[in-house]
Order: sequence, then structure tokens, then C-alpha cells
Amino acid sequence: MVMSFFRKGPTGLEHVVSKSVSMLGDARHSFDLATLALLTETQPASVDADIRATDQRINQTEQELRAELVVHVAVQGSADIGSVLGLILLLKKIERVGDQAKNVLDLAESGVRLDNEDDTAAMLEERGLISTMFGEAAELLSEPDAEQLAEFGRRADGLLTEHQAKIETYLHSDRPGHEVVPRAIYYRYLKRIVANLLGIVRTASDPLPTLDYLDDGATDTDD
Amino acid sequence: MAGIVGEQGTADRRESFSIPTPVRSVLVIAFIYLFLVGVSSLEKGIKIMGEDTQERLFSSVSNPIAGLCVGILGTVLVQSSSASTSVIVGLVATKGISVDAAVPMIMGANIGTTVTNTLVSLGHVRQSNEFKRAFAAATVHDFFNVMAVTVMLPLELLTGVVSGIAKEISGRLVGSAGSEWKSPVKEWVKKPVGWIVDIWEAVGLNGNVLGTVVVLTGLVVVLGALTMITKNMRTLVADRVERSVNNVLGKGSGTVAMMLGLVITIAVQSSSITTSILIPLSAAGVLSLRNAYPVTLGANVGTTITALLAALAASVPEALTIALTHTTFNLMGILILYVPPLVRDLPVLGAERLAEVAVRQRTWAVGYVMGVFIVLPLIGVALLR
Repeated sequence: MVMSFFRKGPTGLEHVVSKSVSMLGDARHSFDLATLALLTETQPASVDADIRATDQRINQTEQELRAELVVHVAVQGSADIGSVLGLILLLKKIERVGDQAKNVLDLAESGVRLDNEDDTAAMLEERGLISTMFGEAAELLSEPDAEQLAEFGRRADGLLTEHQAKIETYLHSDRPGHEVVPRAIYYRYLKRIVANLLGIVRTASDPLPTLDYLDDGATDTDD
Repeated sequence: MAGIVGEQGTADRRESFSIPTPVRSVLVIAFIYLFLVGVSSLEKGIKIMGEDTQERLFSSVSNPIAGLCVGILGTVLVQSSSASTSVIVGLVATKGISVDAAVPMIMGANIGTTVTNTLVSLGHVRQSNEFKRAFAAATVHDFFNVMAVTVMLPLELLTGVVSGIAKEISGRLVGSAGSEWKSPVKEWVKKPVGWIVDIWEAVGLNGNVLGTVVVLTGLVVVLGALTMITKNMRTLVADRVERSVNNVLGKGSGTVAMMLGLVITIAVQSSSITTSILIPLSAAGVLSLRNAYPVTLGANVGTTITALLAALAASVPEALTIALTHTTFNLMGILILYVPPLVRDLPVLGAERLAEVAVRQRTWAVGYVMGVFIVLPLIGVALLR
């Protein structure tokens, strides 16, 4: 361990970013499994242990990376304080995504089944889109690109609006509660996951004071 | 890697605004050379003063407790045991101070150097929990060093064991006391030291005044060079320090943490920097007191490298003996107070108790710093000189 002093390696913040990307990979894994349990015939019990272990790993990594950020400031001084605070927010967002994936699993484990429904195919398609966004977010986190970021933002904003509209529709629907309530809850989770993914990519580009706020700080992204 | 950390990594970004690494490395070598010139100037200046002046100057530290207090005060004043022990090595090289008289000063320097991280911990005074952890992490170093002196100063006065070991080693390396060894470094720095003397002679100085001015010039050069070595080395190795601290955090054993403290301190040539890095980590709860403690012990040993370096510029074996005494004292301190599990926790318990008191009554923290590092040593010097 002491020999690491003599070896070359990534600088502190680079290491935190690369570990954040792997955390995002873990969060995607949880999301994929949890939605599979809710939207397909996969038994929630069969993915439970994997999702909870992944969540533990995400939490553990978040704690280790927070410590690394404190070490960074203690050793390097305050020159990178903006990046350090941004990374603290970023880690929390990834951790939240992991929690929200776990919430989807909880929904499935409570007995809600959305497989073999009229809208299952549409929901599975949407699941695929969001899962891809995890990968895009990871890519943008390590190699930001202004155009891709703007395009990602437009898509995410579109999804957020769509999810909100669906939630409101379910809230005012005349359909039975056992049909609309799980869907409203599910879309609320999806909306928060997408908002967090958007927050993650914006952390790499937006100024720290207005991060998570839109319209020059007027609107909260509601993640 | 670009992204949230910017277009470049920390070190690259920092360096794009400042000195490139190869130039900085050359600068460090130049400052080490300058440091050796400074130490040699100290020796030269005191030799110019003549034996009568030397005797008057150094007779005040013949009492070991007074010597200990001078070591504490001198180190607190320059905020660096590397600097104060290098000066002591320079003084021993002139034979103005004997090795026996210098040993308590070296031990005092070990205590004095702990003031820096204790002062750093006072920066957390507004947040009770943070301050408690930070103050304990800082004072565990104080407790260990004070306990080491409490045990080993009487032992040294009674048996001469610490300096005896050092004498044995230096005897094997460069010859026995009283002889003169041809230090190659001494030859390398001879010319610039001669220039310093020539410059002051050219403005009309001679005798004691010339000697004093050459000593003061040497002091300025030593302090300036050490500051610049530390500053440049800190920049050069910051990424490595960060990476190795992260690797050791909460995973390494006491020995690994000790080695980390040793390596970082040798690299940055300052135990104060190593121990001061630990304070914000402890305050934030990233590093526990028991994990920080062995790092400070490694720093204690690592900081002795500077005096060993200074001894290279001296021409008598006694200079190396006193430098080795510093190393021996710190290694023996670890053997006596850290290796036996029964006593290992005493400094930790002392630091925790003191931190509890300091959190309840903040003025005690300030009183502690003033008392241990300034008032008591001043009283010691005043009464015992």
C-alpha cells in the first residue's frame, strides 16, 4: 500500500470520476433487474439479493469516495473545491438512483405485477431507453461533449414532461385504484431516476450554485 | 480525463500555470545544495567567532532541561524541527556544543515541532465535534513526544544509551569523535561559503561581528532553502501523497500507516506538513485517532533525514552522531511506547481526554498551546540557564 507512493496512477479527482462511472454501471444493473421484476415474469425474489448487494456496494463506494474527496482537499488545498463539491452532489445522485431502483423492486415485491398488461410493451420500451441513458450518462461523465450533453438534456426533459403528464393522468383517472396507483408510483420513480441522470451529466458542465435548478435558478429539477 | 475535474487532471492543471516538473525537480536539487551551504556557513561563522565567544554563547545550554527548553522554543519559533535540528547539527559541527549537551535540544525540537498541527487543529474550534477529533489527532503527537522525552531523557542522562548507539553507528560510518573526516559535500559547498565570508569582509566586518553575520546569513539560507524544498516537494509529490493516503485509509495496519508517515515526510522534508494533513482528515471523521497516531510516529522518524543531510556538510563525526541521535531517539520511542500493546494507547487516551476538556472549555486549548510550547520552556530557560 505504501508502495503506491512510488507508482504512477490517476490523480485523486480522476479516480473519483472513474469510480463514479462504475457506480453508475451498478445503478444501471439494479435498474435493469428491478424493472425486469416489475414488467416481466421474472420473480422479484430471484433478483432481490443481487439488487440489495449492488445497492450496498454503491453505498460503500459513495462513502469511500467522500473520504477520498476530503483527502484531496486536505492534500491539494482548495483549488479544486468547486469540482469536489460538484462530485459530492454527483455521488449522492448516483446513490439515489440506486435507491430508486430498489424502490421499483419494493413495488414488485409488494405484489404489483405489470407484465401481460396492455401497456407492458410500451413500458418495456421506455425501460430500454432509460437503461441506455445510464450508459450515455457514464460516457458524458468521463468525456463531456457539449452537443451530446444538450441532446441528452432535450431527451431527458421530454421524458420528464411525459412522465409528469402520465402521473397526472393516473391521478385523475376513473380506472380502479389497483391499476392506476402502481403505475403512478412507478412513473414517479422513473421521473426521479431520469431527473437524477440529467443532474449527473449537468454536474459536469453547469455552474455549482445553480446545479439542479433550471431557468437561471428558478425551477428545481425535482430529482 | 476531462469532465467534472476539468480539461486536465489536478497536477497537470496546476502545473500549466506554474513551473514544469523537471524544472521544479532541478530547483529542489539546487535548494538542497543551498541548504548545505547554509549549514556549512553556520559552522564557519561560529568558528570565526573564536573559542571565548563560543563558550559564552553555549554555556547557557549545559543544563539538560534548559537545553530541552531551548530545543522546544527554537523549533516553535521556526515552526520546523528540520530547520532547528539542522542548526543544532551545525553547532555541534563547530564543537561549540557537545553531543551530550545537544541531545536534550534535539529531544526538545521533537516536542516543539508538534505545535504546528496543534495550531492547525485550532482552526476547527467553532465546530465542537470536528474540533474534538482534530485536537485529539494533533495532541496525540504531543503526548507521544512528551512521553518519549519523559522516559528517554533521564535514561540518556543516566546511561547515555541514545547517544551511545548513535556514536557507535557514526563511528563505524565516518570515524570516532575527535577525528576529522573528509566530507565530499563539505568540499562542494566550500566555495560559496567562502564567498559569503568574503562579501561580509568586503563591507568591513571582522571578528565576532563577522562571525555573527555569517551565522545569521547561514540561518537565513537554511530556513529559506528548507521552505523552498518543502514547498516544491509538496507540489511534486501531492498526487502521490493523495493516492497513498487513500490506499492506506482505514485499510492499513499501524506499521503501514507508520511507513506512510515516514515516506511522505522524507519526500516533503517536513513532519509538520504530514501531521497537518491529518488534521482536516481527522476533523471530518475520515481518519480515526488510532489510524492517525502511527502516521505521526512515522513522520517523527522521517523528519530526521534533514539533520542527516545537514551532517553531510560537516567535517566532524559528532555532527553525524547528533543527527543519528535524533533518528535513534525516535526509533527507540516507537520501540518503548508503541510496540508494547500495554502502553500503546496511553498517548491516544491522553489526547482524547485533553480534547474532551478543550471542547468544554475552549480557552484551555489556547492555554495548553501557550503553556506547553511557550511559557513552560521560557520558564525553564530563565531558571536553569
